[in-house]
Amino acid sequence: MRRAHLQRMGLPRRVLLPALFAPTIARAQRNTWLLNQDNAEIAFSARHLGLFTSQGRFTRFEARLELDATRTTDALVEGRIETTAVAIPFPGAEDTLRSEAYFHTARFPEARFSGRAAGITDAGGFTITGRMRIRDIEQPFTMAARLAERRPDPRGDVARFTATGRVQRSAFGMVADRNFTADAITITVGVNLLV
Amino acid sequence: MSDAWSLAQRRLHWWSAALVVLTGALAVLMVWLPFSQMLAKFLAYQLHKTFGLLVFSVVLVRLVLRARHPAPALTGLSPGVRRLAGIGQAGMYALLLAVPILGWLTGQAAAGPVPTTIFLVIPVPHVLDPNPALYAWLRPVHQVAAYTLLALAAVHAALAVKHHREGVPVFRRMRW
Repeated sequence: MRRAHLQRMGLPRRVLLPALFAPTIARAQRNTWLLNQDNAEIAFSARHLGLFTSQGRFTRFEARLELDATRTTDALVEGRIETTAVAIPFPGAEDTLRSEAYFHTARFPEARFSGRAAGITDAGGFTITGRMRIRDIEQPFTMAARLAERRPDPRGDVARFTATGRVQRSAFGMVADRNFTADAITITVGVNLLV
Repeated sequence: MSDAWSLAQRRLHWWSAALVVLTGALAVLMVWLPFSQMLAKFLAYQLHKTFGLLVFSVVLVRLVLRARHPAPALTGLSPGVRRLAGIGQAGMYALLLAVPILGWLTGQAAAGPVPTTIFLVIPVPHVLDPNPALYAWLRPVHQVAAYTLLALAAVHAALAVKHHREGVPVFRRMRW
């Protein structure tokens, strides 16, 4: 496998990332992927009383990812999430998250985000910086992204990227239950790109 | 043979009775509380689990004591009634052990994993991963077993009052 081979050669990620998209370079310098719940996941998690972590996800969203295969550090992403399409495995929790105290989905039925790659990190991944808009409040947002794996697929190779970032929910006006739920919410995104 | 249970047996009997009532009341409260009152709901669940596991521990000790100290003599009841009382008590002991275990497993099988702790301090290990299909089976079984235990305890208490009024010294045997 190319990635494993490159890793065996000891090549750093800054070489590996462009190499990953080498097959598409011949076709186009800049590719666009449409992402949704079929080929990506957007999950969130929160700590409670320092005792345990709850996890949820969004079941409807769409995003557009533009990537220049020769310059992965110039990737662009933008998308929207249907805030009503929140799923969390605790009875009653979804209604609470849709309520005024949280996403207030009746008034703000969608959240938006946009960002661009902003350089390779020391760990070999890359940073995405941009803006997140929830409840009509826009805040800067940063995620650490990395190539998690590349696997063969009948349609071509699939590259899986993951990205993780943190937001303070209070910055978006979600201040309820601070005695139970931490302010910091971790957002994890996984995308599977056919390359 | 003494006509009363040992001090430890009497105290543990009333402690387990109080804990069962408290655990049942917390079960009603934790389900009734809306999710929007997250902290109160979480604490109600944790106290329900705590007291339920304490019931289990107390009953284990009671069974050890029961094995070491035979039941005191009881006069005034027919052999048939004594036999029925023995069956009822055996059923309660079984449920006092089974209901907490079923509850412990139910909490683990729930889709949303929440830790089990004793008073939020001592973590109780889990042996199951979240399993919605198993949860769908365990939850009603735990619930029915708990209702059965409460019903048996109510009958046990009502018959004790009845026998006391008839002059059978059941309360003297089990005084605090």
